[in-house]
Amino acid sequence: MSARVAALAVAVLAIALVLAQDLQPRTGLYHTWQYALALTIALVVVLAYANGARRGTDGPVGKRLAWAMAGAALVAGAGLGSGLLGPDTATVIGTPGTVNPIPALGAAAFFAPADAAAIERGSGAVTLRRRQAGDVALGGTARRVLGESLVYLEPRPAAYVEAFDERGAHLTVTQPTNSSFLSPVLLFRERQRIGALSVPLDTFAAPARKRVVRALYFTPDGLAQFRHAAGPLDRARPALVVTVADDAGRQLGITLVPSGGEAIVAGIRIRATLGSYPALAIAAAPPTWALVGGIGLFGLGVVWAGLALRAARAAALNESAASAS
Amino acid sequence: MRRTLIIVALLLLPSACYSGPDPGRNPSGGGPAGLSGAPAQSFEVRRTDGSPDSLARHRGQVVLVNLWATWCPPCREEMPALQQFAKQNAGKVTVLGIDQGESAEVAAAFARSRGVTFPVLVDEKQQYGRTYAAVGLPTTVIVGRDGHVVRGIDGPLTLAQMRDAVAPALARK
Repeated sequence: MSARVAALAVAVLAIALVLAQDLQPRTGLYHTWQYALALTIALVVVLAYANGARRGTDGPVGKRLAWAMAGAALVAGAGLGSGLLGPDTATVIGTPGTVNPIPALGAAAFFAPADAAAIERGSGAVTLRRRQAGDVALGGTARRVLGESLVYLEPRPAAYVEAFDERGAHLTVTQPTNSSFLSPVLLFRERQRIGALSVPLDTFAAPARKRVVRALYFTPDGLAQFRHAAGPLDRARPALVVTVADDAGRQLGITLVPSGGEAIVAGIRIRATLGSYPALAIAAAPPTWALVGGIGLFGLGVVWAGLALRAARAAALNESAASAS
Repeated sequence: MRRTLIIVALLLLPSACYSGPDPGRNPSGGGPAGLSGAPAQSFEVRRTDGSPDSLARHRGQVVLVNLWATWCPPCREEMPALQQFAKQNAGKVTVLGIDQGESAEVAAAFARSRGVTFPVLVDEKQQYGRTYAAVGLPTTVIVGRDGHVVRGIDGPLTLAQMRDAVAPALARK
């Protein structure tokens, strides 16, 4: 394999590695020393080739290809910089209606309030409020690059729960193990393994009735695999499997609450609406200008070098034809 | 060759400086104390008598918001002091008791039994509680005349502590 082909292959690989940061931003790979080392080696290879080619070691084609290598080096350098200096991969799970400081972005994230209907629709949104800069509204699948950070929303399972006593009086719902003590929205920060399934888990309390409720979020598919759920069920809707204990930890009952429905267990009536609410995902990302500029330069350099190569081959063919005649 | 080695050394240097990922980090702030200076959020709810009310309707006044519930022992213990504070500061400070998550009948019955005369709002959806970052009950939030939070306090207050808490808001014009 010639040095030219090897350098081109390394350049393409480096660009692919950096582009992966944009396509699969959640991977922690970009902050590892292995990733930094791979890009560093790629940088060394492409710069070494470009340096030699600039001096004419690879002829006129190499001189032109040196521009492509400069583009690849720009992309690799940007990827290396964002991996080393960009924010750690993080997911900020915010309670609807609350503000969370995001020091990595110099911003505060405002998680839009969400009622039961919004949870069911999965229509939550997050607005980033930055100092001395405009607000950035995120919704749906929108992605934004802010400095060296890529920010986007990740839908997570959520449930809006309400509790009532036997007479139908509304009960306060609390989340004693959560920073959002008074939120009726469960965001399922934990998971529990049940056989082969890993099920989102959250806990809430109805302190007026001294009840602690563990809630497992089952998708319709998951529900079909759960033996306890055998029976007349709406298989198209997710459901909560709730186990209720008293405040001394004694188990009082277990039942299933379908989304939009109610169930009575251990003296309380539980209503749940299931759906999703977004978390804010933050990942390191190379600056867009470096990606666009570097890939553009690489492409132009390759095309320009290709033209030189074609011209050289044509000249060689003409020469051999001339010498044969 | 020497130049190449220098380039290699310079380029390898960054790979030694990497910092590992911290996927579990969640930088959410905690507690009502961090709300000072923030605009006071308001939600339209109903009083125990069924009339509509909200924090925004009291804009221009110094407001002491008390988030509470009937099942909460410290809230019940704090209630006489709160009633006394409301009585002593009528015309200077508006006291709003906002019941969290309970039915109007439950909150009204409790308020009647304790001789509460200040407005009691019923927030069944617990909107005030989560917005004001309550980490427990009772939670007290002092809102200035400009509609911004002056102070947020977790836990029950004595009468003297209530006076101290509203003093900065009263001092502001």
